[in-house]
Amino acid sequence: MNPITPIINGMAITLKHLFMKPVTLQYPTERPKVAARFRGLHALNVSHNKAKCVACYLCPTVCPAKCITVEAGEDANHDKFAATYEIDMLRCIFCGYCVEACPVDAIRMTGEFELANYRREDFVYSKDRLLEKK
Amino acid sequence: MVNLTIDDKQVTAPKTATIYEAAKMNGVNIPILCHDKKLKPFGACRMCLVEVEQMKGRQIPACTTPVTEGMIIRTATPDIVKARKMVLELLLLNHPLDCPVCDKAGDCDLQNLTYEYKVDSNRFSDEKFHHEIDYNNPLIERDMNRCVLCGKCARICDEIVSYGALTFIDRGIETKIGCEFDEALNCEFCGSCISVCPVGSLLARPFKFKARFWSLTKEKSVCGYCGTGCGLTLGVKDNKILTTIYDENQGFHKGQLCVRGRFGYQFINSTKRLMKPLIKKNGVLTESTWDEALGLVAGRLKDAGSVAALATPRLTNEEFVLFKKLLDENVGTKNYDHAAGYAHSALTEGFVRSFGTSASSASILDIQKSDLLLVIKTDTYETHPVVGFEINMAVKNKGVKLNILSDKRGKLSKLPDAVTLVHRPGSEVALLNSIAKTILDEKLSNDAVASVPGFAELVSALSAFSAEAVADQCGLTAAAIKKLASDYASAEKTLIIFPTGQAYTGHNADLASAVANLAILTGKYGKEGCGVLCLSEKNNSQGAVDMGFYAQNGGLNGMQVLDACTNGTVKTLFIAGENPLTTYPNRSKVKAALDSVEFLVVSELFLSETAAMADVVLPVCSFAEKEGTFTSADRRVQYFKPAIRKNVQIKTDYEVFSDLIARLGGNAPASGSAVFKEISEGVPGYQGMSHVALKKDSAFASVVITPAFVIPQATSAIPVEQGKLALVIGSALYHNGTLSQYGEGPMHVCPEGYIEMSHSDASANKIANNDLVTVSSATGSLQLKAKISTRIPAGVVFAPYHFSDSPVNTIWSGSPVTFVTLAKR
Repeated sequence: MNPITPIINGMAITLKHLFMKPVTLQYPTERPKVAARFRGLHALNVSHNKAKCVACYLCPTVCPAKCITVEAGEDANHDKFAATYEIDMLRCIFCGYCVEACPVDAIRMTGEFELANYRREDFVYSKDRLLEKK
Repeated sequence: MVNLTIDDKQVTAPKTATIYEAAKMNGVNIPILCHDKKLKPFGACRMCLVEVEQMKGRQIPACTTPVTEGMIIRTATPDIVKARKMVLELLLLNHPLDCPVCDKAGDCDLQNLTYEYKVDSNRFSDEKFHHEIDYNNPLIERDMNRCVLCGKCARICDEIVSYGALTFIDRGIETKIGCEFDEALNCEFCGSCISVCPVGSLLARPFKFKARFWSLTKEKSVCGYCGTGCGLTLGVKDNKILTTIYDENQGFHKGQLCVRGRFGYQFINSTKRLMKPLIKKNGVLTESTWDEALGLVAGRLKDAGSVAALATPRLTNEEFVLFKKLLDENVGTKNYDHAAGYAHSALTEGFVRSFGTSASSASILDIQKSDLLLVIKTDTYETHPVVGFEINMAVKNKGVKLNILSDKRGKLSKLPDAVTLVHRPGSEVALLNSIAKTILDEKLSNDAVASVPGFAELVSALSAFSAEAVADQCGLTAAAIKKLASDYASAEKTLIIFPTGQAYTGHNADLASAVANLAILTGKYGKEGCGVLCLSEKNNSQGAVDMGFYAQNGGLNGMQVLDACTNGTVKTLFIAGENPLTTYPNRSKVKAALDSVEFLVVSELFLSETAAMADVVLPVCSFAEKEGTFTSADRRVQYFKPAIRKNVQIKTDYEVFSDLIARLGGNAPASGSAVFKEISEGVPGYQGMSHVALKKDSAFASVVITPAFVIPQATSAIPVEQGKLALVIGSALYHNGTLSQYGEGPMHVCPEGYIEMSHSDASANKIANNDLVTVSSATGSLQLKAKISTRIPAGVVFAPYHFSDSPVNTIWSGSPVTFVTLAKR
């Protein structure tokens, strides 16, 4: 093959791309479209104005990264609720096992992926921060 | 033995076994919900159905069918599996299926079987139950919606605990487990029902929602309260003890525990624990370093002539040896003792004189093998509840006769055919002497008895103790005493049980000799099911005696040490874990002694009242944070390892003693096992034991008995002071020493001191239940809550001694009987 043809072919591809829609996303001015099944930041589902979580400890049990801390409490009706629910996002590997294990559909994963922060302790999401925003 | 076939496997089993037991013995697991190996077969759950070739056509419950020769059993045919699935479906029909919030999940028999048999749907439908959940007591939650009606709780409460709090009530689909008149549970809270419940119907409230079962590490240990020596399985998570776990294979008691063993563990992780050494500076205890504190203590200990030590019988054997070494060799004092110096006298004086050994001649295992039990004081149940369970089982299952000599009635008196002779307080020894005298008079004694040393002297000394002469002093009839004597002498195997402790000053060397005389007279010792069992109070009381940690060779005993502190001969007092200010008789005397001693060192878990008076307080470890051996009341030596890591800022008593030995220029043994090697070489009965062997299984230290008759000095009749009541001190069921005050469980059910009295005395003084009563004696006065009960005879009042907030030793000066007056506030 003569040495010129590959260069022409290459230039052709480059030229073609000049007229195509660019792949690069101009983040943060442009936002990606997050798929429905994307596994981002967790959210605790709310029902009847309180978290659905019953503190069954299945998510910390199944969590391979051991990033979930739950402490159960007993409310005035002697029912179980999560007095503490924390996820350490520095450890989380976003596998989604916690969602799969949950017997009461209390946790889901949102499309939220912008988790950068300035301090280590800010990566530990407490129950307040995890409760779904309505 | 019979031969049978289980699942095509040729096996043998004892004639008395059921199919279930035979299968289990041979490694075939039959699923079951209603069986516990301590309980009688019941056949409630229908999970254990099997097919038997010889009984074709129907399915046979394995747990209630005894094995027969040649039986051919199949445990898992398709028909059987189908039947079991059906049983599970029917059980799950009404079960709430709230596993995510049920604390039993992970340890639940029903959950495990449902998983094993893959029952994931239900062909039937029905409404769930809507029973009210019983939250009325702080320890046991009863949720009858989850109940599968296996009946284990009702049966263990009846067969072993013998309380009978729970039973089946109502009929048909409405059947449930309930208390009398369907009211709230109010029992002795031993929690046995929780331990056997196969589902989440009965749960321990102190552990509720604390952790899931699968996240707990199970650590085997030995209970740190009384001298019974029960094994404990502690549930540990994140270096915290969260609960106790039932293990039906643990110990002689098969996992059975009392209220303090099961619910009294919270003191280990208490936030009140001392974490730093304290040194008194300008009259105030201030935090310091170990180096400074131990340096100060070592400096004071160099002045040998004026040092004395008191230790709690909760230290390990190794610590006792090391402490003794420190005092004997490095300090050079003989003034050391434990348990106030008198609580061990039944062993160290009484049994030494009568049996030639400072140990009991029987073990707890003998209780169920005996024919007749003679229990001195119904308090045996309160001081050693698990021994009480053994007595219950002996009486109810084995038909053992029970005779009780006591100054009050108690739970043991309620057992079937139990004979309780309620005598006047303080007349035990005279009563026992009169029984001995009756045995001699009626020629019921053993033939070989004349050759035992001291026989002739005993015969003449007992001449004044005829039943008729003593009956009046004891408040009994001569006929009752004679009946008891002949029952005791004529039964083939008899066992005498009596508790000792700091509250039981009457249970001294004389009482020990008096009961030993009975056993020797009738030859009932040194055989299975026979002998005398002295139940020492704390978990290592017997060990303290075996290690020789008591006043010997002219050393001052516990009470003499306090006197010496007051008069200035003892200038430095080292108290390892004792709390004399609450538990030793005569509080003002103890306080004066602790005030006047120049330098007081206390090593403690908590800042007790005694520790608060100290010049140096050393924070030390509980049993769960150290390793060592404990010797139970019947000389079972048990090894235990740390269940949790200790806080780095605190030391074990072992480390404290070895550090002090080093500071005083001595050589401390390298490790606890090295110390135990010395014990196995030097202490009689411990030969051949080692930590390595004890880690596998506990061992009994052997006892060699050389009988001799000793004349027990009976106190002459105590004159009843007119218008006054006889106060007897003792143990409450929920407590042991003062340590249980830091266990939340015991404090939930018995939070404060009380004075128990009869209805007649209460009405004579116009006192109602829970009234605050001022109790006055010659020593002082104290306010206590009144508790009116039927078990106390007229003229007698009872008060437990455990409470720092209502110290009974302000009105009690150490005599077995104190005369008091009551005045309603």
